[in-house]
Amino acid sequence: MNLDVVHDIQTVYRKLVTATSRPGNSVVLEREAKTLDIQMECLSSTILLARTVLDPEVTFKVISKAEEAVSRMINQLTYSKPVDLAEADFIFILQDASDEQMKEALNMAKVGNLLNPHESAMIILEVPDVTKGVSMILSGPGIQEESFISLPNVSAWLGARNEKNKEFPLGIDMYFVDQQDRLIALPRTTQIKGNGGEIIWDMLQ
Amino acid sequence: MNKTYNFAFFDEGSKREIRRATLKAIAIPGYQVPFASREMPIGRGWGTGGLQLTLSLIGKDDVLKVIDQGSDESVNAVNIKKLVSDTTGVRTTDSTKGASLIQSRHRVPEVPLQRDQILILQVPLPEPLRNFEPSEHETKKLHAEREYSGAWLMLFEQIMKYGIMATDADHPVMVHDRYVMAPSPIPRFDNSKLDNNEALILLGAGREKKVYAIPPYTNISSLAFDDYGFEIESFANHACILCGSNDVFLDELVDEESGETYFQCNDTSNCLEMVNQKQSLGVK
Repeated sequence: MNLDVVHDIQTVYRKLVTATSRPGNSVVLEREAKTLDIQMECLSSTILLARTVLDPEVTFKVISKAEEAVSRMINQLTYSKPVDLAEADFIFILQDASDEQMKEALNMAKVGNLLNPHESAMIILEVPDVTKGVSMILSGPGIQEESFISLPNVSAWLGARNEKNKEFPLGIDMYFVDQQDRLIALPRTTQIKGNGGEIIWDMLQ
Repeated sequence: MNKTYNFAFFDEGSKREIRRATLKAIAIPGYQVPFASREMPIGRGWGTGGLQLTLSLIGKDDVLKVIDQGSDESVNAVNIKKLVSDTTGVRTTDSTKGASLIQSRHRVPEVPLQRDQILILQVPLPEPLRNFEPSEHETKKLHAEREYSGAWLMLFEQIMKYGIMATDADHPVMVHDRYVMAPSPIPRFDNSKLDNNEALILLGAGREKKVYAIPPYTNISSLAFDDYGFEIESFANHACILCGSNDVFLDELVDEESGETYFQCNDTSNCLEMVNQKQSLGVK
């Protein structure tokens, strides 16, 4: 079965909308992922997201050992141009990226300016499993009081994310995809606390 | 379904552009994200912003409801419904509960929205500061600096002139304690429904080329002073002439023959449901 660029991309988009408007809730892209016939060094969900949001009007950057091949493939699929980190509208951090690369990517990502906070980067981060890892409490718009999630490799990205998002409305919006084609969003408005009540960010400093 | 058009009228590139703006809008509640606003087969200012959002969101399994000032059957609502269903083949409904996408002009439905629904509001003037600042560049700066004394002054002047805040509809709200936002010309009665709503609310202004959003469970407060609180329209001692409801937004109408005024529900589908409920109770 082939990806239907109209209807399958529409359902991916609606799930993206659900994920963004309800941070911490995971949505499943499994059905759409199965329609992809290309096998690459990145997850199927990453390709689905790239095809949903990218076109020649926007730019992207891939952080991976296979950066060149994946960039070329995304470029061929979407005609979007790969650019430097600081300019990229969308940053794809693949599973094989090191913690240092991840931190650097988040540090360099653009956050917009106060006049145009929407001119900021969307980060798509590949993880092994969006349900296993450090337990955290989320609050903010889209969340009724509090919600609980566990995400892996928190030490590599949480400090950088909080640093980037400290001056709302400036900031970066993060999307986590995993090998089971699940997607979780943490837009810039989401506040993250450790499950013991302490602020994880402080804990990591 | 008319197959000579693309699904949902737009080409995929146009949808993608609106989709990117919408995602940013959800991530920055209350901030007006500029978008390209394509030419539509209806005039700008007639719901093109809402329509573009609807077309970018809609899929084969959706059920669409379109209301215009509370009515499912006004010309504007019917035409928008026809355009969307002609180019997508989706089902339309009058029932608020039965719809997955609700496009609305100037009302939030009386029936509480559910988790899996999206409310799309058509917005004529998205800029709450436009009344006193004609320059877009300047209003953007005011939003950037969170400089909203003009918005407060506007309300203060109304109190000085009329003794009350005379905003009528489109009373400005504060979103997530950051952005002052025009809630589109919904009556003040509906402002409280925006606060901590279960559903995602998207607002689209086609002529002004802006998209903005209120995610679910977002704090929304109507601008008001400590000594002059926010007041909604009062329908004390009035009830709908058809269904008898007195806790909904009512239209004041004049009987042309007798010259007397009477009140009727503004949300017609809710009114019809109430009437039907009563009748079925009567049969039992």
